[in-house]
Amino acid sequence: MSYTRRAFVKAAGLGGAGVLAARRQAWAALPGTVPPPRPLLLHNNENPLGPGPAVLDAVRTALGTGGRAGRYCFDEVAVLQRAIAERFAVTPENVVIGCGSTQILRNAVQVFTSPARPLVAGQMTYEECPSYAEMIGTPVRGIPLTPTLQLDLEATAASAKGAGMVFLNNPNNPTATILSGNAVDGFIERVLAADRECVVLIDEAYHDYVTDPSHRSQAARAVKDPRVIVARTFSKAHGMAGMRVGYGLAHPDTAKRLAWEGSMPLNIAGLLAATASIQDQARIDREQARNTEARRFTIDWFARAGFRSTDSQANFVFVDIGRPAKAFREACKEQGVLVARDFPPLEASHVRVSVGTLAEMKSAVEVFGKVLGVRAKVA
Amino acid sequence: MPVSRRSFLGALRPAAPALAPAFVAARGREALIAMGHANPEPPAPSAILLDSNENPLGPGPVAMEVLSRTLTDAGRYPTNSRTTAADLRGAIARRVSVAPGNVALGAGSWEILRTAVRLYTSSARHLVTAAPSYEGPERMAAQLGVGVQRVPVDRDGRLDLARMAEAARWAGLVFVCNPNNPTGTVHSAAAIAEFVARVARESPDTAVLIDEAYHDYVTDPGYATAVPLALLRPNVIVSRTLSKAYGMAGMRVGYAIAQPRTIESFNRWAMKYNTNTLAVAAAIASLDDAAHIEAERARNAHARAFTSGVFGRLGCRVMDSQTNFVFVETGCPAAEFKEACAKRGVLVGREFPPLEKAHARVSVGTIEEMQQASLVFGEVIGAHRSGAAEASRVSGGQP
Repeated sequence: MSYTRRAFVKAAGLGGAGVLAARRQAWAALPGTVPPPRPLLLHNNENPLGPGPAVLDAVRTALGTGGRAGRYCFDEVAVLQRAIAERFAVTPENVVIGCGSTQILRNAVQVFTSPARPLVAGQMTYEECPSYAEMIGTPVRGIPLTPTLQLDLEATAASAKGAGMVFLNNPNNPTATILSGNAVDGFIERVLAADRECVVLIDEAYHDYVTDPSHRSQAARAVKDPRVIVARTFSKAHGMAGMRVGYGLAHPDTAKRLAWEGSMPLNIAGLLAATASIQDQARIDREQARNTEARRFTIDWFARAGFRSTDSQANFVFVDIGRPAKAFREACKEQGVLVARDFPPLEASHVRVSVGTLAEMKSAVEVFGKVLGVRAKVA
Repeated sequence: MPVSRRSFLGALRPAAPALAPAFVAARGREALIAMGHANPEPPAPSAILLDSNENPLGPGPVAMEVLSRTLTDAGRYPTNSRTTAADLRGAIARRVSVAPGNVALGAGSWEILRTAVRLYTSSARHLVTAAPSYEGPERMAAQLGVGVQRVPVDRDGRLDLARMAEAARWAGLVFVCNPNNPTGTVHSAAAIAEFVARVARESPDTAVLIDEAYHDYVTDPGYATAVPLALLRPNVIVSRTLSKAYGMAGMRVGYAIAQPRTIESFNRWAMKYNTNTLAVAAAIASLDDAAHIEAERARNAHARAFTSGVFGRLGCRVMDSQTNFVFVETGCPAAEFKEACAKRGVLVGREFPPLEKAHARVSVGTIEEMQQASLVFGEVIGAHRSGAAEASRVSGGQP
């Protein structure tokens, strides 16, 4: 134990990439580090690869023997703010750091809605905003999806009058689909025109996985318009779900209000990793390509088996399996594959399956085939 | 890869941003970040950091070893990692001798304190706290539009429990920081039990939150944890943190101990995935490493006694610290003392009204740090006294 720590200190001191690579191998070789088997985790839309080696090396080097983990993160939040600002060519005052995008979403609901100013959100969308709204006594106007499982922009914009905030998840979780940049532009303009106070929060958690060229981020609009906010996370393509870092992009006045709780819950490892990761766009591009291939494979497999998926632009697929998600989920679990929970009102027919590595998906579809009784047909 | 790593390391010591310095000088880094600003001026790399009651050594070697190994699991939510947040609740339960159902996790006790204010106060039911005491709860109360009643500490810096009990009538929540930050003093187990019983008798709907952030640093034999009281009554909560003796301020783990129904309320309000995967694993390793905490308590007690001695020899009254900081009557305004020390490379605590005119809070670093810092304290206090003597001589000479 003390041997490794010494070696680690040495590696951190020398700081060379080669030494750190050797260090990684040394860890991997330690007794007790052989990971115990666990099921295939296809239920929480994580990146199966985690953060890149360069990101982890940055964390190891900076934490050293541990002194910095004992300090509050006073400086590192500002460093990350600047790194994100640089990445988007905006100012640090446009950037709010959160403990996952969760904190950004919660704080947005906290400051922009009230019992008198409801939240408007799709009825099958990421639930963080609606559930926090309910907790603080904000009414929620839920807008059902269209028959093609799209967020209903028409109906949503029509409900914006008198609302405090409209939430739009693009790509949408759990349906996996996107709305085009033009459609979102028009939508935002309708909402802003419908009410003089209402703000629009666009949650772009899965942005880095989108391959459809009609998609556009609203980041450029958010930093200019005090009534538009974009939320992003490091939990998906950046592979940092366990490190809890997200951010909001907004006009400086809005950003100030969004920082309602401050940055106390941010942890040093997450901040260091995010700062390194945001500067490595090449890795995000590779991750997108990797995910696209595994996603294609998964969708094709279900299609050949006779089950239709939505046009996924995320790291999960939403499939009409024509039977209750619960039974499917439980049967898969028994065979070592975890898939997502129920998503009412489509829990009787649809299941959400996260996209793991291609190898993971190849073993997962074996299980899906058995459970759905279609193995022979697709093989 | 080497390029991005270099630019990353280059980014670690950024140029100072414009907004912060004046504020930081006045209130300190801790206050700045707690208020939601994220642009404090970074301290000089060589500064001795005695301003935020951190453990200068960080987590122990065992915790760091586990943290490093867990990096490969950083892509998994803390519910899917090899050691999960549920395992951490179990480890805390073992350590505190309660059931896992008595434990709620927070991203530091920061979150626990804020949730308590949400759960128990309202515009009709105020918060009672001490002055000075840790400001987390009153800051949250202010944000929610909840009234705050501050009860001054006594002359020795101890919470005035009798007055706080009186103030508790009709209150939603009483915040009892024991040991108290920034004064460092504790109340005995018997005094806390009596206080809780009195509040329960006279104002049964008032909740009591006992913050034991500095629990592991206490050496006074009359002190004991209030955990047994929290198990007895549904509206008594004990909060703890791993930011202090466990050396994990940067990792963000805190927890509440209470009855299961109360814990459910805390969990309902908790930020999803509030404890990160690395912290979960490192915290479990730390909690199971009791010897490390014993050693840290002894190390701190030694450096604390040295620090109190230094100020004593300088003729300053030092409150009876049971924590990893000392509260000293320097005779200088806190802002002036802080600024003068900062110029000499030592950061100390911010202002703590109503005791900001002559007191300073100094965190206890390593013994070597305290030896170095003591020279600075001597200089600053000496300069202040000769300045004050000069001023009174000059003004005395004027009719």
